[in-house]
Amino acid sequence: MNDDGTLLRLDGIQKWFGDNHVLRGIDLSIVPKEVVVIIGPSGSGKSTLLRTINLLEEPTEGKVFFNGVELTDIRTNLNEARTHMGMVFQQFNLFPHLTAIGNITLALIKVLGLSKEEAMERGREQLGHVGLAEREDSYPSQLSGGQQQRVAIARALAMRPTMMLFDEVTSALDPELVNEVLQVMKNLASEGMTMAVVTHEMGFAREVGTRLLFMDDGVVVEEGKPTEVFAAPKHERTQAFLSQVL
Amino acid sequence: MGATTATALAPPDRGWRYHLRHQTPWSRTVLAAGILVNLFFFIGTIAVLSSYGWSRVCPEGATRIECAPSDPLAAGLKSAALGTVATIALIASIVVMVVGFASLRRMPTRSAKEAVITGAAIASQSIFLPALLLWFRGTDVDRFARNFLNLSIIGRKAGVAWDSVTSSVGSILALALIWAAVVGALVGAYAWWRKTGIRPVVIGAIGGLAGGTLWGLLDLSNVPSFIKGAQNTLILSAAGAALGFGLGLVLALFTMSSRRVVRAPARIYINFFRGTPLIWQLSFAGIGLVPALRLNLSMYAIAILVLGLNLAAYSAEVYRAGIQSLERGQIEAARSVGLTYFQSMRFVVVPQAIRRVIPPLLNEFVILIKDTSLVSILGLTVAQKELLGISRDIYSSSFDATAWLGAALGYLIITIPMIRVVTIVERKLRSGLTSVIG
Repeated sequence: MNDDGTLLRLDGIQKWFGDNHVLRGIDLSIVPKEVVVIIGPSGSGKSTLLRTINLLEEPTEGKVFFNGVELTDIRTNLNEARTHMGMVFQQFNLFPHLTAIGNITLALIKVLGLSKEEAMERGREQLGHVGLAEREDSYPSQLSGGQQQRVAIARALAMRPTMMLFDEVTSALDPELVNEVLQVMKNLASEGMTMAVVTHEMGFAREVGTRLLFMDDGVVVEEGKPTEVFAAPKHERTQAFLSQVL
Repeated sequence: MGATTATALAPPDRGWRYHLRHQTPWSRTVLAAGILVNLFFFIGTIAVLSSYGWSRVCPEGATRIECAPSDPLAAGLKSAALGTVATIALIASIVVMVVGFASLRRMPTRSAKEAVITGAAIASQSIFLPALLLWFRGTDVDRFARNFLNLSIIGRKAGVAWDSVTSSVGSILALALIWAAVVGALVGAYAWWRKTGIRPVVIGAIGGLAGGTLWGLLDLSNVPSFIKGAQNTLILSAAGAALGFGLGLVLALFTMSSRRVVRAPARIYINFFRGTPLIWQLSFAGIGLVPALRLNLSMYAIAILVLGLNLAAYSAEVYRAGIQSLERGQIEAARSVGLTYFQSMRFVVVPQAIRRVIPPLLNEFVILIKDTSLVSILGLTVAQKELLGISRDIYSSSFDATAWLGAALGYLIITIPMIRVVTIVERKLRSGLTSVIG
């Protein structure tokens, strides 16, 4: 945890892609066990924001503090820091040449230095957790989209992270497969995992989120309790966006 | 037929028996005629040429005008009988082709139509060769045969010295056993790692035994001979490939660095070796650089080195394309679980990229096999010469251009199996699962 009691703190994050000003000064604090849901129109910078949290994108300006460490400090060992932050991607990004269990155990063995047996045991436990105990030897191409995404979640959880980042994890799924993934995320939230979730699933945002952020044009336009923001959005851009998607 | 049913049915039989049942008398006739016309031409040509003979032994000291080994072949080529065979084949295939294509639209079933197309297409192929043969008979056949069709020279220069085999059985056997042990041990280590059991080890050892025996025999081959040349071609290309494919991967990783100071030297290297002719590189190193620097390197080693350095530049581009064809998400996912850049490359990116680059790398290897012919610029010793150098030697001592055909035969024997392998690997990698499992 950081000195101020937050688990994650972003200070004045600015990001340019070439001349494109994508993030225009974002401050964000997340305390343990919070589920922060980030919504907004496409191109608003929400995915980029999520990716600056574990520095997959390096912010052009601003600082990221996580668990008492400044990640934007050049001396910080990012690889070590990333083991405490699980990330799940829109396109699953499973390693197609490894089985489900192989996807999970790779980093356990190579990064955490677990023995093969320990890694297998932890991997099986996580696969059971996401309801795929039977599929450990399947290759990603043999799994449905929903199953692949659950393996990807298990891969992140197996590292025993203190925080999870979800980047539009249901957007690439067929409609009938969305629920199985959302269910896993709900369970995770109820177990007290700290989460930052970029999503278009407004039902999930309302039900599971403890805080809602609405982003547009690289700034956080509005934030608050999800039920309140949905019921009475204060900002006109939030109103316009919600009237489109709800 | 066409019944709607909820249970999955086996697909209908569309094998050759099905097609045979759906022919008409006419479609059968066209197909048979197409095949027969071809058979008539090939068997007829071989029969006529064989009746005159393919080669003959000439007395010592006879000039090639007085007696050429190719004389019987030339006589056969010029014979009236061969002219008749070719003319009949030409006319018959034109008839089959025209009649076949004209009757296509009247065929009642798809099977019959396919049979007629096949017959007509086969017939049309046997138009070209008879026509070429008839034209060739109008040229100076004798002169051509004297210079290019002295088939006996290929046999005479192919050569293992069989007389010395009996006295060298021991060394051949020893070499074969060493090969078997080495290959067996390598495969054994792999099998132990992959837990695949004993079978591949046995197969590997037997393969090693066969390879070792062959290699032992090759070591006894006459100099100059095509087999010795083929052996050198194989050594040069295999050693060059080992060097080039390894160095190429390192270069490729350098070219993808985000730092210009790492990228730039690799790019300069690649552009230099891709931008200058291989023959320039060989001459500069072998004739210029190495003697000037008084390096103690044999020409053979220089040849391998330059071939490897050259291949490295080309294979680096292949690796880079393969690695960059992976989705960016793969490396992001790898980094997000805490793998370092090099771990991500080693465990995630390279294993996937290798599968994609195997076919293009094999293509580069086939090109390398042919490029080994350029090392003849270096002036190797007779025992070091590869196929083209050998054929040049034989030509300059006998003035018999058939030697070039021998070299071509040698290259084809090496490259065609390689090309087949490329095709098979490509097909395997294309089907979804095999590109993932393994």
